[in-house]
Amino acid sequence: MIRSRRMLPFALLLASAALAGCATMGVEPWERDLHARADMKPDERDAAIDDHIYFSKEASSGGRGFAGGGCGCN
Amino acid sequence: MQLKKPIGATLASATCGLLGALPAAPVAAQESPKWEVDTSLLYYGESDSRVQDGSLMTSIRRALDEDRSLNLTVTVDTLTGATPNGAVPSNGVQTFTSASGGRRYRVRAGEMPLDPTFLDTRYALALNWQQALGDSSRWNIGFSGSDEYDYLHLGVNTRLEFDFNRRNTTVFVGAAYGRDEVSPVGGTPIGLTAMPAPSGDGDDDDEGEGGNGETKDVYDALIGVTQVLSRRALLEVALSYGKSDGYLNDPYKLLSVVDPVTGRPVPSPEPGINLYLYKQRPDTRAKKSGFVEWRYAFDRDSVALNYRFMDDDWGIQSHTVEGRYRWNISDNIYLEPHLRYYQQNAADFYRTVLFAGDALPQFASADYRLADNKTWTAGIKYGQRTARGEFSVRLEYYQQTADPSPGSAVGDLAAFDLVPKLKAVIAQIGYKFRF
Repeated sequence: MIRSRRMLPFALLLASAALAGCATMGVEPWERDLHARADMKPDERDAAIDDHIYFSKEASSGGRGFAGGGCGCN
Repeated sequence: MQLKKPIGATLASATCGLLGALPAAPVAAQESPKWEVDTSLLYYGESDSRVQDGSLMTSIRRALDEDRSLNLTVTVDTLTGATPNGAVPSNGVQTFTSASGGRRYRVRAGEMPLDPTFLDTRYALALNWQQALGDSSRWNIGFSGSDEYDYLHLGVNTRLEFDFNRRNTTVFVGAAYGRDEVSPVGGTPIGLTAMPAPSGDGDDDDEGEGGNGETKDVYDALIGVTQVLSRRALLEVALSYGKSDGYLNDPYKLLSVVDPVTGRPVPSPEPGINLYLYKQRPDTRAKKSGFVEWRYAFDRDSVALNYRFMDDDWGIQSHTVEGRYRWNISDNIYLEPHLRYYQQNAADFYRTVLFAGDALPQFASADYRLADNKTWTAGIKYGQRTARGEFSVRLEYYQQTADPSPGSAVGDLAAFDLVPKLKAVIAQIGYKFRF
């Protein structure tokens, strides 16, 4: 716990540096043609189905989103 | 061919192509349809007559206006088949009972003990409300619930997204809480106590749900950022923390107690059966995970690669690497190959068997999901756009190999696979449309 508190200012510094760095990255609105394509977004349905299967067969779950669960899967 | 179309239709189709199928961009929202229906039929089948699952999942999304939408997802799952009960094979016939002794099944010599009495139907419902908060942030709040014969889940979740830097950076935070109740058939067994001898004729099909349900509370928190790196590349990073408190056992799993020299099951104090103990997991679990995904658009195709690291206080660490390549064969047809590799090390308390005469550990489980294991998934998806939506078929093959805990393969046990291998096929048909 003490270790986490000590790490907090560094984590915040790192996060703000990362965000500041992000501010110089990116594209203009007229350069978004490729990002707007449907295949550049994760398929939420497939991800939900996969999460449910892997949740019941492996010891890890979630990552991209919440850890899932809500079943007594065997 | 497009030259023959009216110019309006040509412009519309060009706009749709530019903006993609999902009405995510605000510009598209003006003409976006109000209803979106997404239906999937899933078959999940394991080899050797193990778990078979048929599942129907339907989502209905209603956009009230540009800024607000409601999403309802209903799922019905039907599970049948047999599942490993945690015990190891032996050279003799093995008899197993339910926690009350009312149900009994036998496993032949040399066979992996599987509980054949696994049958369940699960109904799940999720309701989510999303709305914009000003021009550059969104809020999502949801409820989830599911019910099966011996398990009830209720949960709430929320997520906030903020756009910065001309919408090139999106920061998101989320939290979820779930309360689950398990009511094991035949009652809740006490961890690390002996499986009872069969009572009556051992064929009681109507034991009912356990009277005393056990509960657990699950808390999740998530923070992450999505960053557009260039016209072609995007990076998403997420960190999450989850904590579970309460009854974290799978009430139907056992552990074999064997002779440390011969590897044979030792007799139970109860007459006529071997000694098997119910597993006992800790009643809390905290896990942290980090996730990173990189997506890159080529002129026609795209690729997505992601990695996840998970670490928990049960001593498990896992690594997951996954990749997809979207091959856009034409404007309307695509193929998407998929590969996934997952590896985890065993939980501190994982034991393939317990040895007679050893002191009883505080926690022990022979559940293969807590063993050292590696899994592979390979699959392909075919998608075809239609006038109003998209039709898709997905086929995946899943394989898991696990190692027994060190020193388990003593005596007779050296001749057997002590941890069941898993091979499964996943087939999914989907259709989504908007109107």
